[in-house]
Amino acid sequence: MSGKKEREKRREERLQRESEAESGERRQRLLKLAAGAAFVAIAVVAVLIVISQSETDGGDGNLEGVAQVEDELSGITQRGLVLGDPGARVTLVEFGDLQCPVCKAAAEETLPDVIDSKVRSGEAKLDFRNFAILGPESEVAAAAAVAAGEQGRGWSFVEIFYRNQGFEGSGYVTDSFLTSIARAAEVPDIAKWNRDRRSAKAKRAVSQETTEAENLGLGGTPSYAVQGPSTAGLEPTPAVDAGDLEAAIEAAG
Amino acid sequence: MTAPAEGTLRKIATFAAAFGIAVATYIAISEAGGGSPACIAGGGGGCQTVAESAYSELAGINVAVIGIFGYVLLLAAAILRGDAARITGFGLALVGFGFSIYLTYLELFVIDAICQWCVVSAVVMTALFATNALRMVRYVGTPP
Repeated sequence: MSGKKEREKRREERLQRESEAESGERRQRLLKLAAGAAFVAIAVVAVLIVISQSETDGGDGNLEGVAQVEDELSGITQRGLVLGDPGARVTLVEFGDLQCPVCKAAAEETLPDVIDSKVRSGEAKLDFRNFAILGPESEVAAAAAVAAGEQGRGWSFVEIFYRNQGFEGSGYVTDSFLTSIARAAEVPDIAKWNRDRRSAKAKRAVSQETTEAENLGLGGTPSYAVQGPSTAGLEPTPAVDAGDLEAAIEAAG
Repeated sequence: MTAPAEGTLRKIATFAAAFGIAVATYIAISEAGGGSPACIAGGGGGCQTVAESAYSELAGINVAVIGIFGYVLLLAAAILRGDAARITGFGLALVGFGFSIYLTYLELFVIDAICQWCVVSAVVMTALFATNALRMVRYVGTPP
């Protein structure tokens, strides 16, 4: 009788040990599975980061005309949205809207000649003023240009923007688009530019320039005005092509 | 030190995930409205800057919406019992935690603006990672 009890006790102990071993093994297997899950989780995070970076890096790689603009403006002083020697006797003011296709054409076809002949030589400086007339996106873009100007990259920003201009009001003036322009324009401190372009100061500058254009009686963009020793203040000029603009600069000097 | 009972960990995770859904929903709705969430302190610029940044979307989907989706899955993992829920919850929380670290890095060093609501979400996700990791390590392989 006691022998039978002894056997039963031993059997129970054996089953207990087996069950513990089995549950230990199962736990080990599950922990391995969890390690695999951790590996997959880390891989998922890496993929998310790669997607996030590839979407925002877009940057200069997708932009057109960056090298051309760098070439066109190289060696010319930029201060605010003024291009050229600050001491130049004559100022040619362009009132433009960054969304305006005619301004884009002027930036690509007309102004390079004027920059080469009159600005590079120090005879005149070219002052871009925002005449933001094509809706809210124009105002956002204009403030971004003003902010780039605060870091001495205003003209690079304006010129690269024009070369990558989209259809007006189509929603292309996104944060990502503007950032890629700012990076391509080599704005040194993007975080500061981001703060500045949203500042009341930048918005005020845009609205003041727009009001100035309206007060001058300008009807559209681009419009030009000249100021020099021979003018009575800032005088609008009907000139639109390079030759006429050069003549207006000469007449004002 | 003894680990908290699994039931306690699950309760904490349930509460944190539900809170995370609320925060992420608030951020998503505010951004969809074209604005940015109201900020508790330190001026209102941070959330707007973050919301308007190029990083606020991933593959065209608002990051806050992805957050809601993640918190819902974490809520389900916290409610359910068993090893599958323990391991899945751990994996999901690790993804959320890792991505939160990345987003916080972006706020601090790339966008250069801090949105308090995003910080709240990052803290909630950290708590979820801690509870889910402890639950998995301590209780996997044990009866539910």
